Amino acid sequence: MIQVLLTPRSGPEIEMKKIVSIDIGSTWTKGGLFCLTDSGLKLEKRVSVPTTQNNLVNGFREALTRLLDKDLNTSLKELKDQAEIYFSSSAKGGLRIAAIGLVPDLTLQLARLAAMSAGGKVIASFAFSLTGNDLRKLEQLQPDILLFSGGTDGGNSSYILENARKLAASSIACPVIYAGNIAVADEVAEIMSSKEVVVTENLMPEIGQVNIEPAREKIREISLQRIVSGRGLSEIVEIFGCQPKPTPLAVFELIAAIPTCQPEWSDLAAIDIGGATTDFYSNTESYLETDTVVLKGIKEPKVKRTVEGDLGMRVSAESLLDTAWPYLEERLKELKLDPDSLRNYVANISRELDYLPRTEIEILCDRLLAESCVYYAGLRHIGGWKETYTPQGRVYIQTGKDLRRVRAIIGSGGFLSAATSAEVMRIPLEKLRHYGQERKLLPEKPAFFADRQYLFSLLGNLVGKYPREATSLAVKSVEIL
Amino acid sequence: MTDAIEKNHNTAKAENLEKPTIILGVIGADCHSVGNKILELFFTSEGFKVVNLGVMVSQQEFINAAIETNARAILVSSLYGHGEIDCQGFRDLCLEKGLDRIILYAGGNLVVGKTPFEVVEKKFKQMGFDRVFPPDVDLKKVAELLRQDIRERFSQEAGDSGAADSTVRTRN
Repeated sequence: MIQVLLTPRSGPEIEMKKIVSIDIGSTWTKGGLFCLTDSGLKLEKRVSVPTTQNNLVNGFREALTRLLDKDLNTSLKELKDQAEIYFSSSAKGGLRIAAIGLVPDLTLQLARLAAMSAGGKVIASFAFSLTGNDLRKLEQLQPDILLFSGGTDGGNSSYILENARKLAASSIACPVIYAGNIAVADEVAEIMSSKEVVVTENLMPEIGQVNIEPAREKIREISLQRIVSGRGLSEIVEIFGCQPKPTPLAVFELIAAIPTCQPEWSDLAAIDIGGATTDFYSNTESYLETDTVVLKGIKEPKVKRTVEGDLGMRVSAESLLDTAWPYLEERLKELKLDPDSLRNYVANISRELDYLPRTEIEILCDRLLAESCVYYAGLRHIGGWKETYTPQGRVYIQTGKDLRRVRAIIGSGGFLSAATSAEVMRIPLEKLRHYGQERKLLPEKPAFFADRQYLFSLLGNLVGKYPREATSLAVKSVEIL
Repeated sequence: MTDAIEKNHNTAKAENLEKPTIILGVIGADCHSVGNKILELFFTSEGFKVVNLGVMVSQQEFINAAIETNARAILVSSLYGHGEIDCQGFRDLCLEKGLDRIILYAGGNLVVGKTPFEVVEKKFKQMGFDRVFPPDVDLKKVAELLRQDIRERFSQEAGDSGAADSTVRTRN
């Protein structure tokens, strides 16, 4: 480590540190070399190398040696003393989590939120009693984690115990996190003693009381073990003594820390469109109580992530086309574009996942796909108001999260990082403003930004240790559109 | 010291877990919240664990909360005169959702105009409500009846809800 003493006499030593952050994605391994001085964090160098699927260490080593200007064959041990190293891994788009709750609008909704906020992907969710079909589906899916919740503390236990018995008899092999009615936690653990069960605090100890942090923490712990096992990552952990983060969690922590450390950036949202998924993050108060607005369902957390597995630019392009057809149809008409050209393009990119658009029409097709990712991810992330008339006057019924006060929306991921205009985000969000009878609670007058150097996941790795510096560089590095 | 506090806290928590849970709320598009707050304070002081859903509560919301909390009773308030419409089918929905034995009370200005209370009571009992109360009822009496009804309906069981129980209660 290079150290330069800037204050030779009294006070703590201020040193210049080299910090490396690496994000192992499903296609690319991205790395950044940062320099930390008393004036803050600075990006020195940025590299991307193809991810080496069989052994992730090779891609990691290549990124690291290129960042540090070393020979490719330098051993990891030698590289260890060159810089402080942090890394994350997308683990194929996040862990596959199955969520079980009791009532769909209450504990199940919270289980889904907890899973997504911890950087996971919800592959299935079940309410009330598990049916034979549900169990077969679970056994067939074999999720990485099963998040099992239901009942308030001291509340319902019959559904919970029944489901515990059914799960115990099933062939599900993954770890189970129990975050339901605490009164029967011991009993659940005993019934399911043949499985690996981790008991944590209830997601909803009382009706409407949201407590997803403990479950998130447990998911994070299990994710770490899962990411590290296999494909060589344990070697990195052993040599560098640092644990990897799931990439979406790194971004989540950055979004959570920005308003705390950079108060002028309070109330923000970020959209990250990838090849397989679209992530939507927001950090703003979800509900402001007034006489004319009544909240229904749970009060969602201030920092929220949702991830959509059917919305993406490449791997998920086919499913995007299905989901987003109503939006796409309208846009194609507006742009006087032949629907078949879009269909053909999607068929092509689904065959050739690293295809980059060449012609003007192909570029436009890519943009429409990105727009529809924004539209549907926004639709699912953002809450709404329905107008009702009562004898006391007009009242709005709010469900979900209010994003009206969000002032900045940051686009990240391959496509949005490269965006040259805000239209790709502005047009779909404007179209979303009135959805059916609902008035969506969209940011009122947001400024749009691009994560131009694609730094968010890299800075997310550093935010635990250097919150002020990492958030400061994050807000400095985005470019207004 | 902290141990003592912790212990107190735990005892309080344990006691809370043993109290019978009741669900409270003002049904429909009714925003009258003052009486609702008073009921919450009163029933809490009477030793119930009160889950107050506030104003403008739909039947589905009452039932969702009752399922998650394993509640013994749902107390529906209505002040604005549309209670009869709002409460229609409440018992049926409870049965559909598996709340076979839940106690249903209704109270307030349940219908518009000067209908005699006996008529109102009959109407609501036909809808499957166990007890119906006028606006000027003595709350102490209601709490007493509620305790009695809970004892009678849930006495044999060891601690679980009407939710999983398959004995369908006959209506009044």
